[in-house]
Amino acid sequence: MTPDGGIRAQGVRRSFGPVHAVADVDLVAAPGRVTALIGPNGSGKTTLLLMLAGLLTPDAGSIRVAGADPVTQNYVARSRTGWMPDVFGTWDSLTAREVLTTVAAAYRIDAAAGRARASELLELVHLSELADQPAHVLSRGQKQRLGLARALVHDPDVLLLDEPASGLDPRSRVDLRVLIRRLAAEGKTILVSSHVLTELDEMADDAVFISRGRTVATQSVADADRPREWRLTGLDTDALVTWLDDNGTAYRREADGPGLLVELTGDAAAAALLRSAIEAGIDVSSLAPAGGVLEQVYLALEEERR
Amino acid sequence: MSVDVEVVPAKPSDGGVPAGRGTWSLSWHGLRTVAVLELRQRVRSTRWKAALIVWFLVVGLITLLTTGAFSILAGNQYGADDSYGGTVYSIVVGFVLFLGLLVAPTLSSGAINGDRNAGTLATLQVTLLSPAEIVLGKLAAAWIAALAFLVASIPFLVWALVGGGVYWVALLTTVLMLAVVLGVVCAIGLGFSALVGKTSGSAVLTYLTIGAITAVLPILFGLLVPATTTTESVRVWDVERGYTWEETTAPECEWQTQEIDVWHSERTWWLLAPNPFVVVADAQPLNGDPETLAEDGNMLAMLQYGVRYARTGNDGPQDWCSGYVMDSDTAQPESPVEPVQVTDQLVWPWGLGFDLLLGAAGVFVAVNRLRVPTGELPQGTRVA
Repeated sequence: MTPDGGIRAQGVRRSFGPVHAVADVDLVAAPGRVTALIGPNGSGKTTLLLMLAGLLTPDAGSIRVAGADPVTQNYVARSRTGWMPDVFGTWDSLTAREVLTTVAAAYRIDAAAGRARASELLELVHLSELADQPAHVLSRGQKQRLGLARALVHDPDVLLLDEPASGLDPRSRVDLRVLIRRLAAEGKTILVSSHVLTELDEMADDAVFISRGRTVATQSVADADRPREWRLTGLDTDALVTWLDDNGTAYRREADGPGLLVELTGDAAAAALLRSAIEAGIDVSSLAPAGGVLEQVYLALEEERR
Repeated sequence: MSVDVEVVPAKPSDGGVPAGRGTWSLSWHGLRTVAVLELRQRVRSTRWKAALIVWFLVVGLITLLTTGAFSILAGNQYGADDSYGGTVYSIVVGFVLFLGLLVAPTLSSGAINGDRNAGTLATLQVTLLSPAEIVLGKLAAAWIAALAFLVASIPFLVWALVGGGVYWVALLTTVLMLAVVLGVVCAIGLGFSALVGKTSGSAVLTYLTIGAITAVLPILFGLLVPATTTTESVRVWDVERGYTWEETTAPECEWQTQEIDVWHSERTWWLLAPNPFVVVADAQPLNGDPETLAEDGNMLAMLQYGVRYARTGNDGPQDWCSGYVMDSDTAQPESPVEPVQVTDQLVWPWGLGFDLLLGAAGVFVAVNRLRVPTGELPQGTRVA
């Protein structure tokens, strides 16, 4: 791994005519970590990934991907980057195996090694049984997995995954998560954009939030010291409310259910709250984080925007 | 499942590839990868096979009908007389070229924007293929596909050759010229395909370009006749002055100087040169006097004679008399006017050169459009 590996983007801008798709994005993704790229539809995620993949020139700002500048050292940057687009177009008449051997050839891997790599990757994404079927018979989720395999063909240092989980069934999602964690453990830099925030919660180490083409927040998922909302339910909600009032704990009622939302900092605070509730004889039926960390940050940012 | 990444021996960052390859870098490996991909995509679509079969049947039918019609017209067995052999051959060649010009644009005019719309172009662009490899690989595939149509027509060209009247070596030049012309058309289509977002748009533009060089330029040549015609004093071998045409004796011929309109087609002949039919016809080796062959109905010879005549131009003395003094008793007097010597300078290298430039422009535009990272995007297109 090059010392300045990973992804660094600073002040990146790109507009298409009058539309400022990416207005000002700062982003750092470290090797060995999974970084989530989160933002609403049309916030510029895909455009940003295109620039990181070396397909689009930024209007301003600097980018380094795996130690190379995709603008001035495009070839080197491409050789170290694996990109999985959100809309996975595929060569319909080719079989899954041929898609991968073709991509291997396009990455200048010799034919025998390309075939070996294709079989290995098909195994990895559980497409071995469909390996010799034409790609157009694959379902959306299967195509998505083939797309991931394709991004891995040349064993890139940096992986850019645009909505990799869309269209995947639950089993495949788990597989994807395990695979991404494993690739990160090998020291690869992984940037994942997704809408499925709970999904990202479980696989991402860091998160970058963009909105209207700007970086609006950067946050570590594992950061335990940040306050987050926990959802508390009891057998008798009124008793619970009275206890919380007496206790002086701030809470708010859930809009669409019987639960109460309490802001707590860290697991220890949650355990303490639970213990004192039980000691006070309150029948607590559940206490759990309300939504994921990322979802909460995301919704908070949405609030701010309104 | 295992992520044993060490299996790949040619890891790019390990120096297994050159440190940098530019937009115009080319390698046999890259070209072949793209061409094989394109052909696999195309050959497996049954429509293409069906088109090839239809082509074979249509060209076969035309050949059959033409030979049949001419044998009946000639009133003898096919092959017994070679006076119409050239005609049949030229009709078949012209027809193959015509159909080729219709089919070739469809093979390439969707190659880039079609891929872009299907989301498969960017996935090639991010790999280590250079833009030139992608474009030329696609061109090679389209050209090979076009050549398949040409190969399917060769039996009929040979069949027409059997009729005689044409050198066997003409088959070689015909097929070669047809192949190059179809390649040029594929390259033009590819250029438009990179330039325009919609596949229908690039197909239309390709047809318009072919239409321009095959039809518009010759029409322009015709329209420019007034502009290239000047009134000049020309020495004319004319009927004697004062001859009334009511006399019983044949007129005497004499030299006169007259103000007449002279068409300087030698100034605009080059408008005809890029026409694919002219290119193919002009490259034919002829087994006889072009004028005679043209009169026999060999249309390729006719076309060749026509463009070379246009290139020669005629501003020398003219003979308006000799034809009148001929009668049964007296032998036709020797005309003092030299008949126009049609140039034997070739027209096709100019036309083909122009066409090749168009094709090269198409390739150049396409490669520039596929350069990554992209600065400008064509209107209404996405990178991926």
